[in-house]
Amino acid sequence: MKAQVESLRTAALGALAELETLKELEEFRVRYLGKKGEVTALLRGMGAVPAEERPAMGQLINQLRSELESALEAKETALSSLQKAAQLKAETLDVTMPGKAQTTGGLHPLNIVLADLIDIFQSMGFDVVDGPEVETDHYCFEALNVPKDHPARDMQDTFYLGENLLLRTQTSAAQIRTMEQRKPPIRIICPGRVFRADEVDATHSPVFHQVEGLVVDKNITMCDLKGVLEQFAHEIYGPDTKVRFRPSFFPFTEPSVEVDVSCSACGGTGCRVCKGNGWIEILGAGMVHPNVLAGCGIDPEVYSGFAFGIGLDRLTTTRYKISDIRLLFENDQRFLEQFNG
Amino acid sequence: MKVSLNWLKRYVDIPVSLQELCDKMTLSGFEVDGVEDLSATMNNVVAARILKLEKHPDADKLQICQMDVGAEEPVQIITGAQNVFEGALVPAALHDSHLPNGMHIKKGKLRGLPSNGMLCSGEELCLKEADYPGAEEYGILILKEDYPVGTDMRDVLHLNDVIIDFSITSNRPDCQSMLGIAREVAVVLGQEFRAPVPAYKTVGGDIHDHIAITVKDYDLCPRYMGRIVRNLRIAPSPDWMKDCLKAAGMRPINNIVDITNFVMLETGHPMHAFDLRDIAGKQIIVRRAAENEPITTLDGKDHTLNSDMLVIADADAPSCLAGIMGGLNSEIKDDTTDLLFECAKFRRDSVRRTARTLGMRTESSARFEKGVDTRGTEYAMNRALQLIDELDAGDIIDGVIDCHEELPTDRVLRVKADAITALLGVEIPTDTMVDILNRLEIVTVREGDELVCTVPSFRDDIEGRADLAEEVMRIYGYDHIVATPMNGSIIRGKKLPERVHTDTLKATLIAQGMREISTYSFISAKAADSLRLADDDARREAVTLLNPLGEEYSTMRTQLVSSMLTVLATNYNRKNTAVRFFEVSKLFVPKALPLTEQPEEIPALSLGLYGDTEDFFTLKGIVETMMQRFAVRAEYVRSEEPFLHPGRQAAIVVNGNVIGTFGEVHPDVAEEYGLGVRTYVAQLTTAALFAALANTHTLYKPLPRFPAVERDLALLCDEALPVAEIEKIIRRAGGQLLESVKLFDVYQGAQIAAGKKSVAFSLYFRGKDATLSDADIDPVLANIFKKLSENGCILRS
Repeated sequence: MKAQVESLRTAALGALAELETLKELEEFRVRYLGKKGEVTALLRGMGAVPAEERPAMGQLINQLRSELESALEAKETALSSLQKAAQLKAETLDVTMPGKAQTTGGLHPLNIVLADLIDIFQSMGFDVVDGPEVETDHYCFEALNVPKDHPARDMQDTFYLGENLLLRTQTSAAQIRTMEQRKPPIRIICPGRVFRADEVDATHSPVFHQVEGLVVDKNITMCDLKGVLEQFAHEIYGPDTKVRFRPSFFPFTEPSVEVDVSCSACGGTGCRVCKGNGWIEILGAGMVHPNVLAGCGIDPEVYSGFAFGIGLDRLTTTRYKISDIRLLFENDQRFLEQFNG
Repeated sequence: MKVSLNWLKRYVDIPVSLQELCDKMTLSGFEVDGVEDLSATMNNVVAARILKLEKHPDADKLQICQMDVGAEEPVQIITGAQNVFEGALVPAALHDSHLPNGMHIKKGKLRGLPSNGMLCSGEELCLKEADYPGAEEYGILILKEDYPVGTDMRDVLHLNDVIIDFSITSNRPDCQSMLGIAREVAVVLGQEFRAPVPAYKTVGGDIHDHIAITVKDYDLCPRYMGRIVRNLRIAPSPDWMKDCLKAAGMRPINNIVDITNFVMLETGHPMHAFDLRDIAGKQIIVRRAAENEPITTLDGKDHTLNSDMLVIADADAPSCLAGIMGGLNSEIKDDTTDLLFECAKFRRDSVRRTARTLGMRTESSARFEKGVDTRGTEYAMNRALQLIDELDAGDIIDGVIDCHEELPTDRVLRVKADAITALLGVEIPTDTMVDILNRLEIVTVREGDELVCTVPSFRDDIEGRADLAEEVMRIYGYDHIVATPMNGSIIRGKKLPERVHTDTLKATLIAQGMREISTYSFISAKAADSLRLADDDARREAVTLLNPLGEEYSTMRTQLVSSMLTVLATNYNRKNTAVRFFEVSKLFVPKALPLTEQPEEIPALSLGLYGDTEDFFTLKGIVETMMQRFAVRAEYVRSEEPFLHPGRQAAIVVNGNVIGTFGEVHPDVAEEYGLGVRTYVAQLTTAALFAALANTHTLYKPLPRFPAVERDLALLCDEALPVAEIEKIIRRAGGQLLESVKLFDVYQGAQIAAGKKSVAFSLYFRGKDATLSDADIDPVLANIFKKLSENGCILRS
C-alpha cells in the first residue's frame, strides 16, 4: 500500500509537470483529486489495510492529497499567467496604423486672425460692435470730414449702389454710428467687410476686411494711442516688437500717422521682407479730428480720442506667409485645412 | 511727386547723404516711394576724339580708329559705322563699360585686330532727339559741343542726377511743387530755404491796349491774372531748364512752353500761354460753357460741354477747358509773336468734375483738383516773367489784369500751448513749438500761454489746434511719443449678442467637421438663372452696383447658395474628394427698387457638402445638431426650391416660420455648376436660432431614480406616410409615461406589400415614483395602437 501511494505521487507529480493548459489541469484535478479520483480511490482501499497501519496510512494519503492540491494550485497560477501573457501577445496591434479620427473642421484663416484681434482688444476693454456694409455717403465720407469732391475721395474707389448709397470703403463709418449712439467714454472695435473698386490681383481684392478701433474720453493723448497699439503689436508680432509712428494723412484724424512695426523677420536690421528698411507698415491711425467729434455732438474742447484701422487680410497673409490674397476667397479645401482655429 | 536732386539743390543745400535725406523726409510726412539714380544706367563711357582713321585690311566695312580718350596713349577701337571722320568727338564705351541698353562692353578682336571698346550710337545710349540733338540719326553719335576728351558721358548728357519720388498726401497740395518740397527739406535739415525772388524789367506799353479779361463765374474761378509779352524770341531753352524738365518727365519744346511747364513744376501753379493773335475780339471771358457747346482741345479731341463746366472763351468761342487743357486754336506756335500769360485759381471740385466727366487728366488738372493757393498765382506769374526776362524770350508789357473777388486774408489761429501738449501727451517746450512753426512759415509769436499763429495762404489744411499739433510733432519727431497705458475705469469689453451666438454656431459646425469659407458679397446677376429661380422669385429683387468691376461682381447677393455651389465646384474640379463647408454672411434685401435707402442686411448661414459618405441625412444630421445646440424645436416639411432635388429637400420650420431649406442639389443645377457628384446644400437665416438661444436658461433636472422600460413596435403603413407623423401620433397617445420614441428601422422589400413600408420604433417608458410594470404600460400601449390603426398603421408583431 505504501508503495502504491508512492508510485501514485510520482505518477501524479510527473503528469502535473507535463500539463500545458488550464483544461488539462482541470482533467488532472478530476483524475487524481475528484470524488472518483485516484487519491480518493486509495482512501477507499483502506479496508484492505491492517487496522494498526490504517492511521499512518491514512495520514500518508492525506499528505499526498494536500501535496497534490498545493502543487496543482501553483501550477494553475503559473499556467494562467502564461496563458494571459500569450493572449496579450496575440492581441498586439500595429500602433503606427492611423487612428479612427472624428475629423473637426475649422474657421477661415481670416477669422482665426480676427478672433485673436478681438481677444486682444476685448481684454483691453474694447467692446466689439458691427455696422452695415451698405452705407450712406454721410456715414462713409461726409461725417468723416470728407466732403463731396474732396481730393481725399481719390484715395478710395467706391462702389455705388444709388444716390448717396455705397458699399462702405472703410469700417471708419462705424465710428460715426458709435459716437451717435454712445456717450463717452467710448472704447470699441468694429471688425467688418469693406469694398473698393480694385481690380483683383495677388495683393488686391475688391472685398477685404478691416478692424476699426475708436477711443473717446477725457484726456486721451497720442501716447495712449501708442500704448494700445504697442500692446497689440506685442501680442501679434512678439514682445520685442517696436512700434513707430510716421506722419500721414487721413481726413478724419489729426494728427494722422502710419504705424510701422519693427520687422519680425530681421529684428529691424533690414531684410527682404521689410524691403531693407527694418520696418513694416501695419495700419493707419490718429487722433479723432475735432470736426468729426463735433459732428457727432461730442465737444472737442472736452473730449479727445483716437482711431485706428487694421487691415485684416494683410495681417492674415503676412502671418501665414500667404503669397496671393486670392487664395483667401478661392476656398480650396487643401488651403483651408492648413489653418487650425 | 518726382523730384530731381539737382533741381532741389537750386533752393536748399543738402549736406547729408541721400539715405538720410530720404529717412528724414519719410519721418516728417513725405514718404519716399522710390529713388532712381539716373547715373546708374551707364558707366565708363567717355567723350573721345578720333585721331586717325584707317580701313581694316581684312574687312571692307570696318574702320580702325585711334581714339584720344584723355589717357596718355591713344586707344584703338574698331567700328563698323561709316559716318565717323578724323577729328570727330564721339561717345566711346571703354573696356568693361555698361550701356543703358544693357550691353556690357569688353575688349576683343575684330577680324584679327584688337578693339578696346566700342563707339556708340544715340540708340545704343537710349537717347532721343530731345535728349541730345542728332541722337536719332543713323550711325555713331557725333557730339556737337566741344567737351574735353575723357569727359564722362553722364556729364555730357546731364545724367548725374537722382530722382526721388515723394508720396504727397492729399492735405498738402502745396508740396506738388519743387518749392514746396524744398521748403520742407530746408526745415527737416535745418538749412536755409532760398526761394527765387522774382524781378524783371518791362518795356512799357499797357496791357489794356491788347486784351480785356472778364470773369463771369467767380464761384468757379476765384482769381484770374493775365500779362502780355510781345516780340517773342522763340528758341530752345537753356540746358539747365531742359534738364529740370526732363528730370520731371517732361519733354522740352521751346523757351515759352518750357517756362510755363517749369513754373508749374517749380511753384505748383499751372500756367497757360495764349497766342495773342488767336484771341478773337481781344477778349478773354471766363464763363460756364453753354449746354452742348463744342470745343477742340490741344490734343486734337472734340468735346461737348455742359453748363457745369468752366471755359476760357474769347469773343467767339471757348478756347480752353479751364484748368484742364488749352484749345487747339490758341496754342503757341513757332511763329507766335505775342502772348497772353494766364495764371489762375480754378475751384478744385469744378475741375475735378469736369476732368472726370470728359475723361481727361493732365498735369494741370491734377494740381487744380488737389487745390492751388489763390494768393500764390501772383508769385507764379512774376516768376514766369522773370524767366522771360532772364532767357530774353520776349518783351514784357506793363500792366497786369488781375480779376478776383475778395482775396483770402491771413488766417490767425490762437492756441494754448498746453492744448497742444494735452493732445499729444508729450511735453514740448513752448519755444521749440514756436521755432518749428516759424520755420514752416507759420508765423508764430507767444502771447502769454497762447501761441498766435498766422497761417500762410498755401497752408489751407491748417484749421486749428489739431493741425498745429501735427505740424509741431512731425518736425519735433514722433519718436518722442511714448507708449502709455490708458487711464480710466477698468471696463470689460463685450461682444454684441449676435457675435457671441455666431461664435457658438461656428463652433457647433466646426465640431462636425465643417470648414468655414469666405466669398464675395457680390455675385453675377446670372446666378438667379443658374439656380433656376422663378421669374417672380423674391430673390431676383436684388441690389445692383452702379459701377461694378464686371458682370460677375454686379449684384449684391440675396442668397448664399450660388457662392457655395461655386466653391464646391472649384473643389470638385481640383479633385478634392470630400468636403464639408459653411459660410456665415449677410443677405442684402432691398426695401424698394430702385434703391432709396439702405437694404436690410440679414445674417445667414449656408452649408455645402459632398463625398462618398454624404447623403441627405448626413446634412440633416448637421442641421438637427445645430437646432439642438440652439434649443430650437424645428419641424421638417417638404419644400419646393427649384435648385434642389424635388424629392430630397426640406424646409426648416421654427414656430411656424420657414427659416431655411436644405437638400440634395437638383441634377440640372449640379450640372450647370460643373458638379459631377451628388451635392447637398442648406441655407438658413440665423435670427430665429439666436433668439431661441438668448431665451434659453438652462436649469438642472434631477436624474431618473427608476429604470426605463423599453417596448419595440413594428408597424406596416402607407409608404407616403412620413415617419414624423407616426412619431407624433405615438407621442400624443403615449402621455406622461412615454419618455422617448426612437425610430430604428424602415423597410420596404420582399415581405412587404407594394406601396407599403415597415417602420419600427423603440418606445421608452419611465415612472417618476416607481419602476413601471406591464400593468402600468399595457393600457398606454393599447391607446397608442388604437390611434395608430385609426391613422392606417397596422401592428406587425
